[in-house]
Amino acid sequence: MANPIIEFKNISKKYDDNPVLKKIDFEIESGKFYTLLGPSGSGKTTILRMIAGFEDPTSGEIEFEGHRIDLTPANQRPINTIFQDYALFPHLNVSQNIAFGLELKKMNKADIKAKVAESLRMVQLSGYENREITALSGGQKQRIAIARAIANEPKVLLLDEPLSALDHKLRKEMQVELRALQQRLGITFIFVTHDQEEALALSDQIFVMNDGRILQSGTPVDIYDEPINHFVADFIGESNIIPGTMTADYLVHFDHKDFECVDAGMRADEPVEIVIRPEDLDITDLDHGKLQVTVDSQLFRGVDYQITGHDSDNHEWTINSIHQTTVGANVGLIFDPEDIHIMRFGEDEETFDARLDSYEE
Amino acid sequence: MKSKLKLSNLYLTLVFVIIYLPIAYLIFYSFNTGDTMDRFTGFSMKHYATLLSDTRMISIVLNTVVIALLSALLATVIGTLGALWINQLKQRTMKNAVLSVNNVLMVSPDVIIGASFLILFSFLGFKLGFTSVLLSHIAFSIPIVVLMVLPKINEMPKTMLDAAYDLGATKWQTLSRVILPSITPGIFAGYFMAFTYSLDDFAVTFFVTGNGFSTLSIEIYSRARQGVDLEVNALSTLMFLVSLLLVVGYYLLEKYGHTRKINRNKMMKGPNAQ
Repeated sequence: MANPIIEFKNISKKYDDNPVLKKIDFEIESGKFYTLLGPSGSGKTTILRMIAGFEDPTSGEIEFEGHRIDLTPANQRPINTIFQDYALFPHLNVSQNIAFGLELKKMNKADIKAKVAESLRMVQLSGYENREITALSGGQKQRIAIARAIANEPKVLLLDEPLSALDHKLRKEMQVELRALQQRLGITFIFVTHDQEEALALSDQIFVMNDGRILQSGTPVDIYDEPINHFVADFIGESNIIPGTMTADYLVHFDHKDFECVDAGMRADEPVEIVIRPEDLDITDLDHGKLQVTVDSQLFRGVDYQITGHDSDNHEWTINSIHQTTVGANVGLIFDPEDIHIMRFGEDEETFDARLDSYEE
Repeated sequence: MKSKLKLSNLYLTLVFVIIYLPIAYLIFYSFNTGDTMDRFTGFSMKHYATLLSDTRMISIVLNTVVIALLSALLATVIGTLGALWINQLKQRTMKNAVLSVNNVLMVSPDVIIGASFLILFSFLGFKLGFTSVLLSHIAFSIPIVVLMVLPKINEMPKTMLDAAYDLGATKWQTLSRVILPSITPGIFAGYFMAFTYSLDDFAVTFFVTGNGFSTLSIEIYSRARQGVDLEVNALSTLMFLVSLLLVVGYYLLEKYGHTRKINRNKMMKGPNAQ
């Protein structure tokens, strides 16, 4: 990776002997949209607060554009944060909020005024200069918080679950806008969320975290299609995870049958877990199916039906289908070899990536 | 439902009548031509005239007001800083200990506080008078201010301070530009509480005041011992009016605080429009 803007080197963090980050290493490239994705308590917010300067690492170093930054106080870092509760100043109006950082930099009044107007235009709230914060809706507050941060022209913008307080429709709108804003400004965004859908929709790169570690990093497509382990597969999207064994390269055994697949590089008869996404399964009649299941339930979800069933080994299968079926019926399931993804137990990211590279040209 | 409401109204009215009856009685007799409250003999303002020509009384009123204004001001400054300090204490036990020490002063009887100040001042060889009264008033007002300001500090979201720091503010700039403006209502409330506590304090002042310096409550007490003088009634009436004005003023000030914010925005608009 050429010239990372932020680099974490062997970062650990403990609160009273309670480790929240365990030897984290990563690099962030300039101008991309990054997402730290994980359940609450996975350490993602701690990473964000360390980049902002609100927390110090217990050990390790953070570099910013090649220079150590973890000893620089937060108010001197070219990094701004958008907080979950927006953290606007209620005693100041919209333009005073946006001008806060600029006034501290002793910028002259005319420049501040221009910058405030420009920032408001960026978030599509031109003309809101004199509104009171208390008179704004949740979505507007969110935009003002973004305007306040980008007015300072930070090199990195940190977003701490900024959309979690908005309703579903507004959240979708803001996702589109955030993505567009990032591309227009070209600033590096680091976004923290526990919403996998949001992470997939917005990011160039996702870091999936759990229990103080980064489990997998990659593009949304990589992570969705090739999750490294059970946790990632389960956390990102819906999945059917079934135990099996690797018979040979490109051949996996589960449910008493061998199936053709596209993974290789494992020991013969190595126990593995196989992942098939519900939308990759299609329902057909019993004889044509590669697998046979009995339908247990069917839920209409608007875009599709979520069908659950079980096979003769009592493995649960989830199928997302636009076609209706009958509860209690025995049906066949078909899927393509590339729909099967194989996960080894305890494989780390480095070996995983190397193995994938060895047969994926 | 309706009769129930009426009953509660009746109760409320009764309570207010009982509370205000003595004051109304006192105000009524301040206009008496006679010199006692036994019988109302006719309307006159003569007791007010006596009061206004009583320079000793007027200087005492001024003393009282000066002590109240000054002690409230200093107590507000010290109390606000104290509240900020208590708030940033990390250790829970330490925080609770400091708060308890603060609250003990609130609940302990004035007589004990007064007596202990007297002992302290005599031990130090401090001359009793204006300064000793002022110092003790500051001392008993500080806990009040702390209690009024602390909830406002706790109400402030912590991320707001992070945001100020994140936007480049130093600790001092965060204090002056974010914290103090946010807790201003608490500071005002603290000041007014301290002011009224100082104004009507008798017990503490009684102990720590010396020869040649007196406050209103002490003066009225000593005059009342020699038989009720209707000049005291006249003074009480005026004091009551002043308190009434203060309360109205406080509400107006609170309202003004809101409108000022809007006006300031309008003013911001002015130069911007040019």
